Amino acid sequence: MNLDFLLYLAINTLVVIAVSPLFVSLIKKIKARTQGRQGPTVFQTYYTLIKLLKKEVIYSPNSSRIMRVTPLVTMAAILVAALFVPLVFVPEPVGGIGNIILFLYLLALARFFMALAGLDAGSSFGGMGSSREMSISSIIEPTTIIVFAALAFVFKTLNIFDMFTLNASTGSPSPSTLILIGISLFIIIIVETSRIPVDNPETHLELTMIHEGMILEQSGRNLALMELSAAVKMTVLMALLINLIVPFGLMTTLTLAGLLIAIVVFVVKGSILAGIIGLFESSMAKKRFFQLPSLFAMAFFFSTLIIIIAVFS
Amino acid sequence: MIVELFILAILVLLAGTLLPLAAVSQDRRIVRTISLSCIIIASLLLACLSLANLFSGKPVPFTLYQPLPLVSLSFVIDRLASFFLLIIAVVSACVAIYFSEYIEHMEGQSRRNLLCGSTSLFILAMVLIVASANTLSFFLFWELMAASSFLLVTYEYTHDETRKAGIFYFMMTQLSSLFVLLGIIVLYVVSGSLAIAPLTAASTPLVTLAFLLLFVGFSVKAGIIPFHKWLPYAHPASPSPISALMSGVMLKIAVYGMVRFLLNVFTPDLWWGVLILAAGTASAVLGIIYALKEHDIKGMLAYSSIENLGIIFMGIGLSVIFTASGLPDLATLSLLGALFHSLNHAMFKSLLFLTAGSVVSATHTRDIEHMGGLAHRMPVTSALFFVGAVAIAALPPLNGFASELLIFISFFTSMAEVIPLYKVFLFICLALFALTSALSAACVIKAFGSIFLALPRSPESAAAREVPRAMLIGPGILAAACILLGVGALQIFALVGFPVPLPDMLLVSLLLIGMAVLTYAVLYFTASREVRVSETWGCGTLSQRASAEYSGHGFSEPLDIIFSAIYRTRTTNERKFFDQKNCHFKEGYGEIRLLKVFEEYLYTPIAKKSVLVALRISRFQNGCLDTYLLYVFITVIALIIFLGWFA
Repeated sequence: MNLDFLLYLAINTLVVIAVSPLFVSLIKKIKARTQGRQGPTVFQTYYTLIKLLKKEVIYSPNSSRIMRVTPLVTMAAILVAALFVPLVFVPEPVGGIGNIILFLYLLALARFFMALAGLDAGSSFGGMGSSREMSISSIIEPTTIIVFAALAFVFKTLNIFDMFTLNASTGSPSPSTLILIGISLFIIIIVETSRIPVDNPETHLELTMIHEGMILEQSGRNLALMELSAAVKMTVLMALLINLIVPFGLMTTLTLAGLLIAIVVFVVKGSILAGIIGLFESSMAKKRFFQLPSLFAMAFFFSTLIIIIAVFS
Repeated sequence: MIVELFILAILVLLAGTLLPLAAVSQDRRIVRTISLSCIIIASLLLACLSLANLFSGKPVPFTLYQPLPLVSLSFVIDRLASFFLLIIAVVSACVAIYFSEYIEHMEGQSRRNLLCGSTSLFILAMVLIVASANTLSFFLFWELMAASSFLLVTYEYTHDETRKAGIFYFMMTQLSSLFVLLGIIVLYVVSGSLAIAPLTAASTPLVTLAFLLLFVGFSVKAGIIPFHKWLPYAHPASPSPISALMSGVMLKIAVYGMVRFLLNVFTPDLWWGVLILAAGTASAVLGIIYALKEHDIKGMLAYSSIENLGIIFMGIGLSVIFTASGLPDLATLSLLGALFHSLNHAMFKSLLFLTAGSVVSATHTRDIEHMGGLAHRMPVTSALFFVGAVAIAALPPLNGFASELLIFISFFTSMAEVIPLYKVFLFICLALFALTSALSAACVIKAFGSIFLALPRSPESAAAREVPRAMLIGPGILAAACILLGVGALQIFALVGFPVPLPDMLLVSLLLIGMAVLTYAVLYFTASREVRVSETWGCGTLSQRASAEYSGHGFSEPLDIIFSAIYRTRTTNERKFFDQKNCHFKEGYGEIRLLKVFEEYLYTPIAKKSVLVALRISRFQNGCLDTYLLYVFITVIALIIFLGWFA
């Protein structure tokens, strides 16, 4: 554990918390524009979070300790997962931080607690959300793991840090392979962050809801944590895609000027990807829940196919 | 030193077996306590000797009894044996602590003494199997284990359900013994010795046959699909601590047999590994998919054991594939994954079975739909169950994750190494493995949510109280082991001398705690600290009712529908009408039935065939003396002709 790594912990956590609400609002803005609406400002998510922090927390009398610890555990798990994907600066990995499988399972840890909290208050909405979230996350898992295995195969390492360093230097794999894997990663982002056509992040009290239904019982600062952790999760997954496909701007040695440039470059790249996600969402309709398995099966076969191409070429 | 400790442990266990038999008519608590204390003492002894041997790593062979030059009861305690002895010791000790209280709430008065004695005998048999140095003693104690576990399963023999389960279990376990025996005989024919030692002969058809026989024998015992059916019957029928022992330890003995024979006897071919990996993958995926459908808590845990044994077999299969393809490092890695998962599964599954036993004894039902709200009523039990749930869902930083991660890493690393055809196969297995581990998270959320969260769904559940302290200490130790083995995984491996490419889970746990503390601190200073406990949104109803909650059935319904092809639900719908145009409805009959695929298409046909054959054979037994004399006469004639021909 050297100084560089400690600095990395601080920088990465602060950057990811600072920029993730921006990307969430950007996607909303893009969607509003394509629908011909003005939409809220790009700082709206920050305002919402601050507002939520000022509000009191309400717990249902039926709820147990699970409800009380979930926001903290979720936030902590997502923030630690965020450490596994360097946004602006790639240090030497320490103690297996950056292991791609552990990254995936830290996200699963957060989801596990969220799903339990959804069941905790005994409301039928929360249960519905948990049930659907767990079903969807289970059936997308094979696709995710195949894509991650392909990444590990292509880069000959299990560590995300090493993948990024390798990518930033000359040893990057062929662009065609990267683009193919990028497409699969994009599908995973859409599914993991509960976006159209899998879930609709805008609806609360509808029977379509999945992620939002699960956190329906949360309020005040706890809801702020849940919202922020969802935003951070999306940013981290986006960063994984961005820094693999366009590693330009990513620092490997720490300098102040380089840091500022890297942050600006990352925000620009992230905004572009957020725009793409927004347009993608606008061009789609939400699928019926039981049509999702066929969508996922398609994603699975697609990613397996491109991986077979990547592996055998 | 190790030999003396081992013999002492055996003697203590024998005392634990014989004492209750001597005092069989006395329904006194002290008898049972002494018997169970014997198990605890023996477990401590075994734990000491196995730890000592794990670190020294020197095999300790010794012979107890040798009536004939070829036939002997000889043992050897090496690292593999001590590893499994450690599993037996830890789980037995915790189960015995738990049992000392649990047994006092059971029915059966002085019969309970016998239960203690059989438990001790059962543990003794497993200890001796693991230490066996030759196939003869291996098989002898294998049978002893089968017989004593049958006694344990059928303890509550007054229930019809238990009797059925007991007979089913007995049949399956004898099937396992039969295959193991045949395998051992074939091995003897090949090598001419009873020792568990490397075969000098190359892989001839006979050696392959021996492997296949042993594989089937161990698979039946381990509950690998399609030989799994006894698990979901035997576990709900037997007392919970016994389920914990059977699932936590006995299944691992089958794993031990598999690993022991693969490592020390055979030089495996590549396709053996493919076979083991395929069987393991099928068990893992199907096991967890069936577990999702189960609403009997112990049935669910039984199916999840099938899943976890599948994962262990996947690790073994990978190891065989890598050995045969000349990748010894990867082979060691995946074998370590399989062994570590055996240890971890023993810890968390016994923990879950014990806490499930507490829940069942508090609510008097095994149906999770009739539980709920127990987190408030049984806070410690719920916390312990929660640790087990996180571990079994393979979530960091607990132990279930650490061992699955090892197997994941060997999958990921292998992609660059093996030949293309196997690459595709490994990709498929990897995808299914990921599916398994995600589904197991869904399954435990369903279980934990239905049992402990929200409102109680039955009066019994509302009246449940926390269990006595001894029933918390046993699982408590196991829960601590789950946390320790997960957080310290890397350090533990380094300590026993196997450097593995695991991430440092201690660091990750510290980071998790650090982030949580940091978040809490930031919130403490920036956010409102007001908290109110009040009714949240209840869809307009005045007060929330348990019947409006999301049930366990409801929770798994989406997955039921997605995997409906596997569940094979059959819907029948018959309607009768008064008129011919089918307008005036008379009566109807509808049924939604879950097909038990394996039972209906595999087990029952075989059973029916066997009954037919048995009936035919039984005709020879007509009870008439003349007939038997005729048989003797024919045999003598046949013998004379045979000898005259060949001699």
